Amino acid sequence: MNMQAKPTLRELSYAEAIREAMDIALSQDERVILMGEDIGVYGGAFQVTGDLVEKYGTDRVMDTPISELGGAGIAVGAALTGLRPIFEFQFSDFAALAMEQIVNQAAKVRYMLGGAVSVPLVMRFPAGSGTGAAAQHSQSLEAWLGHVPGLKVVQPSTPEDAKGLLLAALEDPDPVMIFEHKILYKMKGPVPEGYYTTPIGKAAIRRTGKDVSIIATSIMAQKAMTAAETLAGEGIDAEVIDLRTVRPMDRETVLASVRKTGRLLCVYEGVKTLGVGAEISAMVAESDAFDFLDAPIIRLGGAESPIPYNPELEKAVVPQVPDILDAARGLLKGRI
Amino acid sequence: MPIEVIMPKVDMDMASGKVMTWHVAEGEAVTKGEPLFDIETDKAAMEVEASESGILHHLTPEGTEVLIGAPVAWLYADGEEVGEPPSRPSVSSSADGDPSRVSDVTEKPSEDTAAPERVEPLSSEEKTRATPLARAMARANGLEIDAISGTGPQGRIQAEDVRCFLDQSATISAPVAFKSETGALSITRSKGGTGTPVVLIHGFASDATSWAPLETHLRHRPLIRIDLPGHGKSPKLKLNGFAELAKIVRRTFDELSLDEAHLVGHSLGGALCLALADTRPRSIKSVTLISPAGLGPDVNGEVLGGIGRATRAESLGPWLRQMVKDDTLITDAYVRLAMAPRTDANMRAAQQALADSLFPDGVQAFDLRAALGRLEMPARLIWGKADKIIPWRHALGAPGNIALHLFEGVGHIPHFEAPEEVGKILKASL
Amino acid sequence: MPDTFKDGNVPYAVRAYSPEVLLAALKKMMLIRKFEEGAEDSYTRGLIHGTMHLSIGQEASAVGSCMSLTDEDKITSTHRGHGHCVAKGADLGKMFAEFFGKETGYCKGRGGSMHIADPAKGNLGANGIVGGGLPIAVGAALSAKRLGTGAVTVCFFGDGANNEGAFHEALNMAAVWKLPVVFVCENNKYGMSTSTERSTAVKNIADRSASYSMPGVTVDGNDFSAVAEAVDAAVERARSGEGPSLVENVTYRWRGHSKSDRNRYRTKEEIAEWMERDPIATMAAMLIDHKIIDQDGVAALEAETTQIIKDAITFASGSPDPDVSEATRDVYTQEAAA
Repeated sequence: MNMQAKPTLRELSYAEAIREAMDIALSQDERVILMGEDIGVYGGAFQVTGDLVEKYGTDRVMDTPISELGGAGIAVGAALTGLRPIFEFQFSDFAALAMEQIVNQAAKVRYMLGGAVSVPLVMRFPAGSGTGAAAQHSQSLEAWLGHVPGLKVVQPSTPEDAKGLLLAALEDPDPVMIFEHKILYKMKGPVPEGYYTTPIGKAAIRRTGKDVSIIATSIMAQKAMTAAETLAGEGIDAEVIDLRTVRPMDRETVLASVRKTGRLLCVYEGVKTLGVGAEISAMVAESDAFDFLDAPIIRLGGAESPIPYNPELEKAVVPQVPDILDAARGLLKGRI
Repeated sequence: MPIEVIMPKVDMDMASGKVMTWHVAEGEAVTKGEPLFDIETDKAAMEVEASESGILHHLTPEGTEVLIGAPVAWLYADGEEVGEPPSRPSVSSSADGDPSRVSDVTEKPSEDTAAPERVEPLSSEEKTRATPLARAMARANGLEIDAISGTGPQGRIQAEDVRCFLDQSATISAPVAFKSETGALSITRSKGGTGTPVVLIHGFASDATSWAPLETHLRHRPLIRIDLPGHGKSPKLKLNGFAELAKIVRRTFDELSLDEAHLVGHSLGGALCLALADTRPRSIKSVTLISPAGLGPDVNGEVLGGIGRATRAESLGPWLRQMVKDDTLITDAYVRLAMAPRTDANMRAAQQALADSLFPDGVQAFDLRAALGRLEMPARLIWGKADKIIPWRHALGAPGNIALHLFEGVGHIPHFEAPEEVGKILKASL
Repeated sequence: MPDTFKDGNVPYAVRAYSPEVLLAALKKMMLIRKFEEGAEDSYTRGLIHGTMHLSIGQEASAVGSCMSLTDEDKITSTHRGHGHCVAKGADLGKMFAEFFGKETGYCKGRGGSMHIADPAKGNLGANGIVGGGLPIAVGAALSAKRLGTGAVTVCFFGDGANNEGAFHEALNMAAVWKLPVVFVCENNKYGMSTSTERSTAVKNIADRSASYSMPGVTVDGNDFSAVAEAVDAAVERARSGEGPSLVENVTYRWRGHSKSDRNRYRTKEEIAEWMERDPIATMAAMLIDHKIIDQDGVAALEAETTQIIKDAITFASGSPDPDVSEATRDVYTQEAAA
């Protein structure tokens, strides 16, 4: 499928792009339903579903009780038996309440049954820090789910990809977990009209460069772009790759970039240890791209800490543009 | 109760010392004030006297490195029962920083990469430090990675080093054979001092301890001494010419991450300071060049070669006396002390190889006169008019904005021969 | 025993079902018993690796609960799910093959005892997680309602699952949305070693139905007719759009929780007492009583089912093992992924 619509100058916010994708899906496919807490007349915790309930009714835009485990399981059961549910969590942190159904059921049913069934389930997780919501409403847990065979995990960083990846997720016969960054919801960007998909498992090269490969996820891809412009002024030509999909990871794009630049900087908001950057680093170190490394690999990730409340502390525990600049300069000037 | 004999602190920035020789054997009696054992620090060797009388037990084996304040043996009273060594109170080295410090807690690259100056040179058991790309390039060109010297952090061989090696090996004849090492240059720092730090670079066949006579005059500033490759505690790097040596020094300086610094260099170190000031003009606040190399072609290759070749104090002494005007300064004790680190044949070979590439056929193969002309920060030349190694007249080519301090009756090492005078000049300006 | 039977009245099952259907039900109960005895024997002989959870003694609950279901109707099952699988019409050979880890098994050797499923017959699968199937059953019911298939989902779960949070969430949502689902609790009195008296605040698990404004009934789970009567009513209610019900079949597992169970939490007397109330013997007696079969007929059925099991084991043990190079097949539908 993977067809890319013609670019237009029309701009939508990231939240509007997601809503448009759901609107298209609801209008095209009777099997599609939305489930989640307060996604009806309230419009969703982050106003992503908005007024879709007015258009499609409460049978297809279903407010669930505050029952993440049960709700997720119902979505699994519905997906197993012919529906195409899109299940919205209010915050990705609440995935912890539903892990049983996501990890033990959705991810494994197909395999346990020897391939006899599929679970075409889409789950949406508003994730990330920056809203002052503190430790239980700010996490980036994509690595948790990325660790589970049977799931696919994506992290759009632009409005265009937010729409395209959601439509791709709906086409996919397997469970797709979409981690949306809360800070990006209001970010505007060009979004093609109509139906198109953004391929799952394919990273986007946001900026080509020859000196260092910055592999970033979600909002960090935006920060990496900002940093790259500054670095360009210093004569450092950074390549910025927006990973977009955590599982399955786009091995070819990452390795090709590292073979070209010889330097790898991973930037992600999730906790650094045992996170997405560890996987990227290991993937490079285990591959033939290893022979092209001319400096140690650097990971910039979240601190070994819950997300704090105080805004300055909150900023301090996740990578910021100056951190990316320092790391890239260090790699290039042979300080690391 | 037995009395502990500790590793004494004998030097201001000494963290540990090595037990070299015991003058008293296990179980023998010693009287307070008698020589007990010799120690060696990164500066010098010295004898330690018994602080008390007693029977000596539980000797730390010769050659062992011991933290200052830690026990190296125990003295027992006559007839006192000798059992297991008394438990040693744990000695912690002074912490460099407060680990609880939290300013910006994002997970950054791990500490060992963020603080290169704390990293020790590689021990000999470890493999050569090189990037995968450098290794792949070396393999592709049929090179042994050990043959290439690394200019990256901690002496890491990077792709650029391999390229540099390939370029230069095409033009330069094979250097004197020695077993090369890798790793970062040794840095020693004074304790105390405030304001702009002073970076000191010694001359050929010398090392960081040579600055001792000058240091009382510079104590008000933080002092940072660099040991050149193949000298002092620095690794014996394979080098091809002055440019590569200057690059390593520049990398070392960059890793210090100083906002600003004064440079003081002697002889070859002077030339390196000049090269450094030429490439890092914004952070260098002043340059003091003592009998520097690089300002003319002449150099006394015979003396340099003789020092390089000397295997014993007897053969080193005559050459060292050439360095100074008043040769009574070079006592036999001084020569022995100077010879102590030079007993390492591999180090001598490394220095000879360096001399071969820097001063082939007794000529300075590098010329920094243009760099001297470009200096914009305050700069001064200090020279002895009795210098037999590099002619003081090289100073006369300096442009007018550079101060000249010429000393009558002083040879190649003014800070050793006239420390008060040189010290006053520096103290007044740094 | 239900009063109807004691009083000499015709039991529900005899009234509701033809002799052929009743004999087929008896045969299924026998097959369940013999399947599990065969599995146990195979385990003892070292032919099966891993553990198993046997439902010997609970056959009336499994078969009685599926009487009014078609292949369009769904069930979700539990770790003690062999009976449900047979009751829903599974092939014994493919079940044994799965047990033996063979490529010809229901799950191609990837699932084993705890995950046998038969989607073609509406069996969405056993589940290794206590309470795991509860929300999934509600989801299946949601699909049926949305897609207008008219299908009903029977959700089997044990007494242990009634204390999981998923139980509350699933029953609540099923009731709120009036979904066509029947929750069948097989209360065999112990969650591993912990009795319902020690684990559950209400006397009967069916009492919990009041919290969800749905009908709840507790029946003798060893009485085929009583089970069928209760579940049929609940299925009819679900099918007519009146929403979910909760049926509690009180029964007993003769064997331990799993093969590692040393049976330290119940007495020999208690086990013997329940074995006196063998659901298969009771069912056979009822059918003999109503002249649907005679002793010889029962013996013939015993012989027939024994042979079916024997053939199934022969098929399974002669089947090919999965190819090790395909160990990660079927993780994703699109194999290009990951």
